[in-house]
Amino acid sequence: MTVELLAPKYLTWMANGLLMTAWIAVIAIVFSTLAGFTLALARDAKKPVWRLLARCYTLVFRNTPLLIQLFFWYFAAPNLLPENTMLWLNTPHPLNLAGCTLGWPSFEFLAGTFGLTLYATAFVAEDIRSGIRGVPKGQYEAAAASGLTRWQMQRHVILPQALRHALSPLFGQYMNIVKNSSLTMGIGLAELSYTSRQVEAASFLTFQAFGVATLGYIGLIAILDVLARQVQQRVALPAGN
Amino acid sequence: MEALEVIHANLDYLLWGTWPDGPLGGAALTLVLSVVSGLASAAGGLLLGVLLAVLRGWSRQVLLLVLGFLRAIPVLMLIFWVYFLLPILFGLNVPGLVPVVCALSLISAAYLAHAVSAGIAALPQGQWNAAYSLGLTRWQVLRYVILPQALRMMLPSFVNQWITLIKDTSLAYVVGINELSTVASQVSNRVMIHPVPVFLFAGLVYFVLCAGLSALASYLGRSHQHASPAMV
Repeated sequence: MTVELLAPKYLTWMANGLLMTAWIAVIAIVFSTLAGFTLALARDAKKPVWRLLARCYTLVFRNTPLLIQLFFWYFAAPNLLPENTMLWLNTPHPLNLAGCTLGWPSFEFLAGTFGLTLYATAFVAEDIRSGIRGVPKGQYEAAAASGLTRWQMQRHVILPQALRHALSPLFGQYMNIVKNSSLTMGIGLAELSYTSRQVEAASFLTFQAFGVATLGYIGLIAILDVLARQVQQRVALPAGN
Repeated sequence: MEALEVIHANLDYLLWGTWPDGPLGGAALTLVLSVVSGLASAAGGLLLGVLLAVLRGWSRQVLLLVLGFLRAIPVLMLIFWVYFLLPILFGLNVPGLVPVVCALSLISAAYLAHAVSAGIAALPQGQWNAAYSLGLTRWQVLRYVILPQALRMMLPSFVNQWITLIKDTSLAYVVGINELSTVASQVSNRVMIHPVPVFLFAGLVYFVLCAGLSALASYLGRSHQHASPAMV
């Protein structure tokens, strides 16, 4: 028995889907980490209003399905935005950076990465926050005694240590981002799951189409796993500490 | 006001589909899907978790590999796989609900398995030794001594997994099951001009279900700590 392989044409589709998935994931990982730090700090801020807002954000975004959030950003948000903004988002604004042109993304892409980032932020923030809580109280006191301002203390003393505690759960969230990016096919973004469905419909090679896509996801997760180990080794404290 | 009118006009459809005249759908189907896959994954997770705790050598490696695979792929991909493989394996056309329940239960069980085996590992070795010295067999120790204690500790993770399941049932959208997300997008497409209230309402229903359960989970976590201070 021979297994019919996917034609090069279909493999190209799948490769494009894989690239799209990787691209969405990278953007969502970077922005949800930045926003996650902000949200984590806001959750333990001095002003009660920040704490309340941050708590509401976490509650709402963690307790509703990502798919519904994506539907909202894709189908409903355009009704809420001013017409001019929508027009601006839908017209291409190619970006010229040092000779290479970055194409303007589709609205599916904008809504998809935006939605995925906001969803992931709520989870990333909680992991960073438990990292911050793992920093012993003495570190705050020592930093304050050294005359550091509140901001310097966070920047140079607390957050670096918090990050070390949070690394492993954070990479778990990054893997979730890769997996969750598959939901953007629900709003028509041509990422890996979407292209596997397309290839399946066009070639009738269901097993091969899903097989290649599954391997693609496992490959991306494996890359993150290797990265996590390397970063962890690099920041590990010498034994005995 | 007009926006609320849309919700009101479609409320029955959003909450339970065409039931009782037609099949159950909407929020009610979301709940049914999550309860069925919740129970199936609790049973599966318990079994796999116990296996993970007692197996040694290559069989444990194989199990770890399977669990790792299930945790590495998106739920969506697994739904595609089961949707495609079930008819081939059993040679019959299964209703669309079955693949979704199977896929959700499998992934959920894989996550729970690690929680269960961690719960078992967290119990002091003295529990095993004491039970062995009473002459219990390995399975008896598990059944009567270890699991009753471990399960109480793990109850919050089971409830948390259920919350994840409620959210994940929305993925049934990709195979056209009429649960809340599918029904919401149908209503939104039909009405055309009011996507905002429709998706906000669907989000609200999910929120009430998930946040309610989440409150229950933290209550269970607290009351457990209260009940057995020695374990904390």
